[in-house]
Amino acid sequence: MNRRRISAGSLLLGLLGAFAALFAAAAPQSAPVVSDVDPHKAFGSKNAPVIMEVFSDFQCPACKTLFTTTNRQLMDDYVSSGKVYLIHRDFPLPMHAYSRIAARYGRAAAQIGKAEAVEQVLFQNQEKWEQSGDVDGTVASVLSPAEMTKVRALVKGGTLENMIDKDYALGQGYRVNQTPTTVFHCKGQTYPYSGVMSYEILKGFLDQLLSQK
Amino acid sequence: MQSSPLNFRRAVIWIGRLVLGGIFVYAGFSKLLLPNTHLWPMFVLKFSLSMNISSFAQQIESYKMISPEASQVVAHTLPFVEIVLGLLLLIGWRLRIWATAITAIMVGFLTVVTRAYLLHMDINCGCFGTPEKLTGMTVLRDAAFLALALVMTVFAFIEARKPHPWSAPEKA
Repeated sequence: MNRRRISAGSLLLGLLGAFAALFAAAAPQSAPVVSDVDPHKAFGSKNAPVIMEVFSDFQCPACKTLFTTTNRQLMDDYVSSGKVYLIHRDFPLPMHAYSRIAARYGRAAAQIGKAEAVEQVLFQNQEKWEQSGDVDGTVASVLSPAEMTKVRALVKGGTLENMIDKDYALGQGYRVNQTPTTVFHCKGQTYPYSGVMSYEILKGFLDQLLSQK
Repeated sequence: MQSSPLNFRRAVIWIGRLVLGGIFVYAGFSKLLLPNTHLWPMFVLKFSLSMNISSFAQQIESYKMISPEASQVVAHTLPFVEIVLGLLLLIGWRLRIWATAITAIMVGFLTVVTRAYLLHMDINCGCFGTPEKLTGMTVLRDAAFLALALVMTVFAFIEARKPHPWSAPEKA
């Protein structure tokens, strides 16, 4: 019986120690300066108290969920009111065949001021173009022929690749290994979070961040 | 003083307890605390747990076996059940009951991952907190764990029939 008590006690102590180590190691990091922001892919006030960088992949189903469920309310309630500066970062995962192509089109559309419409059509038709590979046709469905010509020229120009690579490298710096990953910056602290967040959960977190002294 | 009565069956039971108990505790903790491990201040911890449980619920949903509501219920309970069962197995109290429970859960896990594998579902297995693609290796790993759980449970029942030498009355 004593032996059992001793082993149970040791086990409990070991677990407490492991938890304490994890607790100590998991404190928020000091925030680096947010760099390489493409103004066409950033929304809200640069002076907002909270900065959110969303690392996303157009072919990832969870990113679609985040975009279609949470983003709209976030834009209306926090970005438009100047509380959050939202930065979209491209993080095309190598496992997805067309996500880099889609990222190029998304970037190109952003350069001509059509980021929102193109992001929406790409996410909403994700299941279709990931089967067919027809990213071009999907984007063309929401742009005028003149806009589409500009977008195609930008995609072929190759200048966007460097921007996507920069975002990707930045994500690797945050140790992003899945999408979507959102990196929050507030009052000198950085909190990277992986996964889809419902608007209610995000709202609770943002309100707490904003009320921090 | 009596030496440790280690035989093949008891060795297997010990290995099963350590391996499966450790894995269950890790699986539960990792689902709750990985990949998002910010723990302080308290509202950040709350957000971390909410995010991790919500990600786990999404992984359960991706198996397309139960409704989103049921996925939420499973996501909010399974990690805690895994931790408690793993600890009980490590402690060894009422071993037969908890070994049987873990075996039953392993049967469930193996059934679910085998179904997804046979249907060629391109999903994460959701076994631990970090993303892990469901492959044939996942099925083999779960099968190996189930085999260990099964053998451990059977041996635990066999051993329970015999009095333990430490607690057996001394012969006159």
